Amino acid sequence: MTKRIFLILIVALCAHSVFADSEAEVDSLYSRFQIEEVEVTARALSKDVIVPQTLKGAELQRLNALSVADALRYFSGVQLKDYGGVGGIKTINVRSMGSQHTAVYYNGVQLGNAQNGQVDLGRFSLDNMEEIQLFNGQKSDIFQSAREFGSAGNVYLTTRKPYFKPDEKVHVRGQMRFGSFALANPNIGVDVKLTDALSLTLDAEYVYSDGKYPFRYRRVLPTGETAYDTIAIRQNGDVNAVRAEVGFHHYYRTTGFWRVHAYNYYSERGVPGAIVNNVWRNGERLWDRNSFVQAQWQDEWFGRWSTRLLAKYANDYTHYKNYDERLLPSNNEYTQQEVYLSLANKVQVFNWWDLSLAYDYQYNTLDRTNLLLNDSKEHFLRHSHWLSAATAFNIKEYLRMQASVLMTAVDRNMPRVTPGVFFSLRPYPAIDLSINAFYKQSYRYPTFNDLYYTDLGNASLRPELARQHSVELAYCVCHKWLTANISASYYYNRVTDKIIAYPKGQQFRWTMLNLGTVKINGVDAKADMSLFLPLRFVLRGRLNYTYQTAIDMTNPNDTYYGHQIPYIPWHSGSVVVELDWQSKRGDHYGLNYSFIYVGERYSQQENIVYNYVQPWYTHDLSLYGEWGIKRWWLKANLEINNLLGQDYEVIQNYPMPKQNVRCTVAVRY
Amino acid sequence: MHSSCKILGINNKDRFAQRVKTGMYYAIHFCLYSLLLTLYSCRGDEVVYPTIGTHVTDEVREGGLYVLCEGNMGSNKARLDYINLHSGEYYSNWYGSQNPRQLKELGDVGNDIQAYGGRLYAVINCSHKVEVMDRKARHIGQVEIPNCRYLAFKGNKMYVSAYVGSVATPELLGSVFEVDTATLEITREVKVGHQPDELCIVDDKLYVVNSGGYITNRHDSTLSVIDLASFTETEKITVGPNPQRVRVDNSGKLWVCTDTSVVILDFIRPGKQIPMRVSNISINGSTAYVIDKEQHKLRAISTIDFMELEQPIDISSYENPYGLLATNDVIYITDAKNYVSSGVLHCYGYDGKEHWRAQTGDIPGHLCRVSGAYDLYPDTTKQDTAKAFSPYISRVYEYLPAMGQFVNVLPKYEEGDDAEAMCRKCEQAIANNAGGMICLGGWGGYVTFGFDHTVENKEGYDLRILGNAFPMSGNEAYGSSEPGIVLVSRDENKNGIPDDTWYELKGSMYDDPTTQHHVSKTYTRASDTIRNAFHSQPYYPQWIEAESITFTGALLAPLTENIGGQNVQRILDFGYVDNKPNTDIEGTSFDLSWAVDADGKSISLPCIDFVRIYTAVDETFPQTGELSTELSGAIDLHIK
Repeated sequence: MTKRIFLILIVALCAHSVFADSEAEVDSLYSRFQIEEVEVTARALSKDVIVPQTLKGAELQRLNALSVADALRYFSGVQLKDYGGVGGIKTINVRSMGSQHTAVYYNGVQLGNAQNGQVDLGRFSLDNMEEIQLFNGQKSDIFQSAREFGSAGNVYLTTRKPYFKPDEKVHVRGQMRFGSFALANPNIGVDVKLTDALSLTLDAEYVYSDGKYPFRYRRVLPTGETAYDTIAIRQNGDVNAVRAEVGFHHYYRTTGFWRVHAYNYYSERGVPGAIVNNVWRNGERLWDRNSFVQAQWQDEWFGRWSTRLLAKYANDYTHYKNYDERLLPSNNEYTQQEVYLSLANKVQVFNWWDLSLAYDYQYNTLDRTNLLLNDSKEHFLRHSHWLSAATAFNIKEYLRMQASVLMTAVDRNMPRVTPGVFFSLRPYPAIDLSINAFYKQSYRYPTFNDLYYTDLGNASLRPELARQHSVELAYCVCHKWLTANISASYYYNRVTDKIIAYPKGQQFRWTMLNLGTVKINGVDAKADMSLFLPLRFVLRGRLNYTYQTAIDMTNPNDTYYGHQIPYIPWHSGSVVVELDWQSKRGDHYGLNYSFIYVGERYSQQENIVYNYVQPWYTHDLSLYGEWGIKRWWLKANLEINNLLGQDYEVIQNYPMPKQNVRCTVAVRY
Repeated sequence: MHSSCKILGINNKDRFAQRVKTGMYYAIHFCLYSLLLTLYSCRGDEVVYPTIGTHVTDEVREGGLYVLCEGNMGSNKARLDYINLHSGEYYSNWYGSQNPRQLKELGDVGNDIQAYGGRLYAVINCSHKVEVMDRKARHIGQVEIPNCRYLAFKGNKMYVSAYVGSVATPELLGSVFEVDTATLEITREVKVGHQPDELCIVDDKLYVVNSGGYITNRHDSTLSVIDLASFTETEKITVGPNPQRVRVDNSGKLWVCTDTSVVILDFIRPGKQIPMRVSNISINGSTAYVIDKEQHKLRAISTIDFMELEQPIDISSYENPYGLLATNDVIYITDAKNYVSSGVLHCYGYDGKEHWRAQTGDIPGHLCRVSGAYDLYPDTTKQDTAKAFSPYISRVYEYLPAMGQFVNVLPKYEEGDDAEAMCRKCEQAIANNAGGMICLGGWGGYVTFGFDHTVENKEGYDLRILGNAFPMSGNEAYGSSEPGIVLVSRDENKNGIPDDTWYELKGSMYDDPTTQHHVSKTYTRASDTIRNAFHSQPYYPQWIEAESITFTGALLAPLTENIGGQNVQRILDFGYVDNKPNTDIEGTSFDLSWAVDADGKSISLPCIDFVRIYTAVDETFPQTGELSTELSGAIDLHIK
């Protein structure tokens, strides 16, 4: 890479608000040998209007986590739904608004699932992930596509970008991971510098696990005597998945770049199902293919006007077949297609005032084929348009502000307008203390399943509305031997017109209705710190704690009126402590301990003893070493998860694995 | 799991303590938060789901009612609740109290519950089993039937409809399984239509509706007729789309509820089709109660002329009317609410007045009234003590009187009653210390009853059996005595039905040379012509379809003598029912040690489950009619 590119980075860093969208590029272009610079950018982030929670680089790789979902457990305000095992579905719910209010972006473009609106984050590997960010509300920079203004919570996944020293042309990375339950997970990556400005990255991964983990059900009588105690092996939880990605990155002039990214994921897995009386295995199988190509082009004119174009085509195929002869036989194929186009512009009117305007268009189709009844092929489609206008300004160092308006039009429904206002106040610029607040409205549109599901659909559904209010107090300490970020936020959210399945008329014919109202009050407290100790020891810590009430306020006549909604714990939190030692040669050795706690909650709407779910908490430990030998770089990592072997369930009747280990060896050239 | 918390606490404390020394104030926060988390709520042992009793009514009725709550698929929350109609106590998760050690509780999605032969049978659909319990819902065994749906019984067989057969077919046909209730083994299987749901038995035919419920836009529309003898499908009758329910009324007509109408099949006369979409149906006497799912109303339809009857119960406030059971005295209707939260069970009188309501589990769908009334004692983990049992008769299994002047009167026969209905009427008269009376008619006529428990043979007398004998004033050796012989039996094959060996309790006349053993007598409907002045109704039991009935047993020599112009009987020493007055405790008590087998050999029974009493004399008088044993109750002397 040329000095010219490096210069861009510096410029980008300085003109943070001007070029902040490529900040991800910036960070990723640093290699891990430039940790200090990364820390600096971390500090800079605290000056954002919206401070994201971030996990990146070495810290991300050293967590006890296999997938993106595992890593997101360490963020505050996040509730993970995990059906267990490598192949089990994992979705997240930010600040109790429901998983469909959280959008997930892969290298800047939203991952869609028009069928059910849920993205299984268990399928995204951490191995090629550079950074994971979670923004409550929306991303800090107004230079974003229109649709990005439309979600209540946003998760940005950024994959590793190539970094080349001047004399380097090729990087090769190989990694092998083994673990409990027959986990085998090889991963290779190749980065090629085609020209000074153009580079190519390839990344491929295979995951296999037989998913046969032991689990235990033990119940006691009120006297303490054992009522029953049984251990069984999870069946039909195997997964076979292949992922392959290729990316081109081209930087030209000092301001422009384009990149193209193609992604393909194929998997076959068993759906292990709920463990209920007399049923210890199920027979459903699931085949998935997710493919997409996305392209991005961005440039800047007159030093003040930036333009970005995004385009994406996605084609997803799902085949679900039930082999369990005892159950409803089913054999369904679903094909989804998505075409997405986005044009975003930003003008810097003055150094302290930005304006942006963006328009997005998306076309979705879903084909459903029931292979048991060959005649029942169904086709659904949807056109969506988003138009956003946003402005950001700052008053010296004291105040940063962002306001946005988004108009959403889905098919022929009445267009809806949602505003968002964000403030960040720094009363004493000398002290890194900020008060951040926002108000935002966002809609969650009904999915194809909500609208058209055979027995369930209701084509006249309105979108679900979330209103968020949030205040945050953040403090940052930056010292020669200590950096620490501490923040606490209070939020009040109200979800109305919540789309819920409701029985109507005939037996077991459900319909979707805009019935629910949920009131959410929560407090997030988080702290992270790095303490630079003598003898090249670094102690890093991360603490998250969330207290929230998410109360059903739908109808005072319901038995569950005023009760906490299902699977939202009152208390949850995590602690991560990492001790890292760097040798004089630059090798690293370290120990990482993490603790995750999810408090008591209820599995159904009524908070009664029959729906009570106990707290769960796991202790995870990992040990790692990283060695540099000439141009080679070697890493070994040993993880022990659920150290004390707690028998727990995140979702009732879906047992989670007890103790399990993973061992990773990686080589890079 | 408590230990793990402690370990965490110590580790963190130690680790943090060092940091505190280095003066890192935020470390204190870490420590405090960690401790807070640790202390706030640790994971404890998972305790079995509790059984919670709630007093819902002061109304006193006989017996109890089981409520099977379905629970949502995958939730494993099928729940069997029970209300003691005598004490008014509603117990949520009653099954849990009786079977706290059942692995993963009752199961996933309850679909049907029925009481038969002193047992309870519950279909747990997604656990692919029929749960077999005793009458207190204690687990006896289970029958594994994939995707089982509904139950019907006849003799010692249970019939279970199932969405899939033991071998899956490409057409996705379902099956009906025949299960031996004694061994709980599947004996036969017959393929029927798509997704068979409810089934019922009339005579030697089984009828099952093929709902086609799996296939939304292509419902099945037939009723399969199965010949029980050959266990083959003999016919498929088209009834209408998506038939889900089939019930038989007291005249043998079938009521089939399809997606569009109620179809009544009468195999003798032309049937009828009522265009009404019905979600549930319950027939009591000559009225069919249905839930009209479009109008959201409870309707009553006469089973005689199919006219809609006035009925005052208003269910318009229900969110989702679901379960329905019409009984002789009251009607029970459940509201399943939104299907994912607790439902409500309502009890109404036929005058439309709501008597009480109780909160149930999720989707209360299936109701089963039983004769046993039980309460739970505070310590739910203790298996029952004798206290929980009733000393009185809990159930009448058979009632077959020989021709007589009180037959069809005590208890009263009404048009449409069958043998089962007559047994229930006998229970109303003599079970649970009700104080009524039933008549066994002439020689040979009998009744078979049992208790809610097994009667033990202990030292001394075991049973008291009450009649209506009274002594002659002034001469205690004579009186109105209409002796009945007592037979007892153990449920040797454990099927809950009195089909086991009978032993006679040897009375004082057993070895008397005038007593004839192994006598038979046949009564025919044709001979039922002579009436006395007081009783003009038919003397032949009207619910019996056979033209003749033959009884076998011992016959005592005539006891009647004319003393002072009055017909009185010589009172026997001991061992006969309705022989000595009820005030004579010893004279109405029986010892199970008296049991003898058919050859007169003494037999030692540790306990018994069934008692049969038959009229032991054959004497008829023009004015006063025949001598016939009357029964007004029985008491297990070991239960206080």
